[in-house]
Formats: sequence, structure tokens, C-alpha cells
Amino acid sequence: MKTRYVGLLAFLFVYSDITLCHVRIKIQGSTTVNPVVADAAECFREKGWSVFVDTQGGSSGGIAAVAGGLADIGMSSKSIADSDRRKFPKVSFKEHSIGYDGVALVVSQPVFDGGVKSLTKEQIRQIYESKIRNWKEVGGPEKSIVFFNKEPGRGTWEVFASFLYGNAENAPSVSHPEVGGNEETRTKVARHASAITQLSASWVTDGTKIRALGIKMDSGKEIFPTLENIRNGSYPIRRPLLLVTDGTPNAHINELIQFLLSDLGQELVRKHGYLPLKN
Amino acid sequence: MFGAIPMIYGTMLVSMIAISLAFPLGLGSAIFVSEFLRGKCRVVAKVGIELLAGIPSVLYGLLGVVYLREWLNNPLISLGGSSGDSLLTAGILLSVMILPSIMTFSDDALRCVPRNYRENAWGLGLSRTQTIITVVLPQARSGIMAATVLSLGRAIGETIAVYLVIGRADRPISESFTWTSFFEAGQTLTTKLGGSETAIAQGTVEHWGALMSLGLLLWCLVIVLTSSARILFRPLRENQ
Repeated sequence: MKTRYVGLLAFLFVYSDITLCHVRIKIQGSTTVNPVVADAAECFREKGWSVFVDTQGGSSGGIAAVAGGLADIGMSSKSIADSDRRKFPKVSFKEHSIGYDGVALVVSQPVFDGGVKSLTKEQIRQIYESKIRNWKEVGGPEKSIVFFNKEPGRGTWEVFASFLYGNAENAPSVSHPEVGGNEETRTKVARHASAITQLSASWVTDGTKIRALGIKMDSGKEIFPTLENIRNGSYPIRRPLLLVTDGTPNAHINELIQFLLSDLGQELVRKHGYLPLKN
Repeated sequence: MFGAIPMIYGTMLVSMIAISLAFPLGLGSAIFVSEFLRGKCRVVAKVGIELLAGIPSVLYGLLGVVYLREWLNNPLISLGGSSGDSLLTAGILLSVMILPSIMTFSDDALRCVPRNYRENAWGLGLSRTQTIITVVLPQARSGIMAATVLSLGRAIGETIAVYLVIGRADRPISESFTWTSFFEAGQTLTTKLGGSETAIAQGTVEHWGALMSLGLLLWCLVIVLTSSARILFRPLRENQ
């Protein structure tokens, strides 16, 4: 009988020892920031930490999770907006920028080949509001436009909406088919013959059947979302890649953030096609 | 402003398409397997059906995304839709999903009818087909209806498979009740809840409340369905 109690106590002691000393970090948020953070998490897992990376809900999901205490770090591909601060008044969001990225209007390959290489801001707005419904109205093939709209909670969507309407809250409600994360978006547009969507510029790589459109500025010049144009600011839709915490992060979380800000972490940013902080 | 009518419409439409495709096929196959197949053939068929009934729904969803959307892409565009994502695609996918369960439960119901019912009918000179239609099916009616209602309940509550092929487009009420709504992207109660809106709605009380009321609505729908089935399809008594 006594040995059983001793055994139980010993087990509890060892168990609590393991759980108390063990580092557990939960990260949730944007599918854009995810590849970089997932690689970093892998490095920390080799150190023995438990790092969970989840992309439920995109940027808004990450911010809501941090606000609700469900995640330690939120990944966001847009700056924290006033609407976010209003929604969670008790939370003091702290943004840690790890890089930059551009949002491109991405179309299926046949549309690009058919003659649509760039669009003006006004044309993009009209396509989004379903006033222009066929590619031939903007110089492309005779095919109806399918706009795969990113879910309104996504960072990419909010950056796009801010570009068109000044503030994401001013965007009208539209009825387009919705897509979630970057992977789903890319797959659906690649498999369709006449689709357009908002996507991170770095996700348009050779071999995927999608192309990024340029933005035709008022001067008539076409600016394509290349790394150089995003870096020097000539491409207008640019956003920071953020790690968000509630207040000042504790030692372990700070270690992860500092890793991503270090040369090795910035190399990860570069590897995935995004712009690092220092050029 | 929150409104659930387009989503209720989507749920109803998708389930109706599913059940109208799956019920005749399922019942027909069940009749074939239980009445016309013998011995080893029947065992093989039965095992095959039960395996299909056990496949997780997300696999159906993935197959739907890869194959069904591609096949339906051009027909839907010519009928007024925009891509392979539509209420019709979701309905067809759901019908494939609930077909095995209708088949397997109907088969069990048909085999529960005692053999002497059939033998009496044959003895009276009825052909096999007449026996099935006039004797076996009425006796198995409650079991078959239970199978259908269970499968309809599963169709109404199915989230992931429908989520991947429905397009998730919230339309205003004015645009929802048209003939082309079959072929356009739509939204159901389950896909709304299955998306990421629940992750971002937690800050606002009204938004969260609206989403939770959708869940309550879905629950009530299933309760109404199962209770009405119980009342409507009571087993036939011996002397009827």
C-alpha cells in the first residue's frame, strides 16, 4: 500500500517537473508569415521546446487568439488596425516586424497570356464590385471574370481593401466565392481559366499557372510587384510581416522573436521570397 | 446586419439535391443486393458498401476538389455559374457520400422482412418484382425511411466536404432565390460555421451571437427532422 503511494507521488513529481520546465509556445495566424515561422519553430523544436504553429483564421484569427489568450504569438500580414484595438480594448498589442511583402492581383495564366498585364486602381475597384464582369472589357480574352475573394479576416484582404478604399471598414460587401489561406487561393486560381484574386506577391513562382498583374499608375507606368519595386516603394501595395504579442513578451517568446530578427532568421525570410528588414 | 435565410436556403437546396440523387440509387442497389444477389456475390457487395460507408468525409471533400470541380467547371460556366464551386457540386458530392449509408441500412431493413412473407407471395402467384413492390417494400418501409432520414441528417450536418466545393459566397437575399443559384457559389449553415469567421468573431458580442444562433438553428433543424420522421414513419403493424 505504502509503495503505491510513494510510486504515485514520484510519478506526479516527475510529471510536474517535466511540464513545468518544458517550454510550450503556441503561434497562430497568417498563412503568409507561416512558412518563415514554421521553419524557425523547427529549429526550436530541436532544442526540446514544444512549438505549435497554426493557421486557423489567418491574420485576424491570430490577433483574436492572442487577445483571447489562446496563443502566445500571433502572425499577421497587416498592421494592427484601429478596429482591432477597438475590438479588444483590454489588450495592448505589441508588433514585432520581421520583414515586408507585397500584395499582388494574381490572375490565371490564360488571362495574362490573353493580354491583361496590368490594371488601374479604378479597374480593380470595378472588378471587385462586379461592375466589370468580362476580361474583354479590360483588354483580355472573352471570358467572364471570377474573383476569388480572400475571406474578410485575412491580412491580404485587409491590405487590398485599404488600398482600394482607404480603410478596410469602408469596403462594400460583395458576393464572390471565398477562399481561405494562400495555398487554397493559389490552387483554385491555377486550376481556373479566368480567375483573379489577391495573393502575396512572393507566392507567384515559376511553374504555378498564375501570374501577378502590374498596377497601372496615373502616369501610365506599369509597376509590377517585383522585389525591387516593393523595396523601393514604387509598388503601392506593401505590408509588414508581423509577430504580435499581448504586451511585452516573456523570455522564451522573446528568444523566438529575436531569432527571427537575427541574421539567420532574416535569411529564412529571404529564402521564402519576402523582403528582409535590412536590405 | 445579419441574416441566415441564404444559408438556410443553401442547406435545404444542397440536402435536397443529395437526397434526390442518392435515394433512388441507394434503394435500387439495396433491393438488388438483398433480393437478387446470392451467396458470395452478396457478401462481396455488402462488404464493399460498408467500407464505402466508413470513409471519412474529408476524403470525399478532397476527391471533390480534385475531380468533381474540374469535371463540372465547364458545364457550370455554360449554365451561368462562375467556376466549379457551386451548390450543385456540393449536392452531388453529398449524394456520393450518403449513398453507401442509404444502401447499407436499406439492405438491412429489407433483409429483416421474414422470408415467409416472400414465400407466401410467391405461393400466391406473384412474380419476384411484384413481391418486392407490394410486400417487401411496405414491410421494410420504416427501416428504409429511417435510413433516409439518418442520411439526410448527415447531409445537413456535413461541413468539410461541402466547405471545399461550395465556393462560400454570401449572397444577398435578392440574389439567392434564382434558378441559376444552383450553378453559382453559395453558402450553407455548416460552411459558415466551419470557416474562420468564428475565429474572428470572438471580440464582438453581436457577431458571435449571430454565429452561435446559426448553430442553434442547425441543431433545431436536425431535431425537427428526426422527430417528424419518427412520427411519420412508424413501423407497419402485423394486421395492416
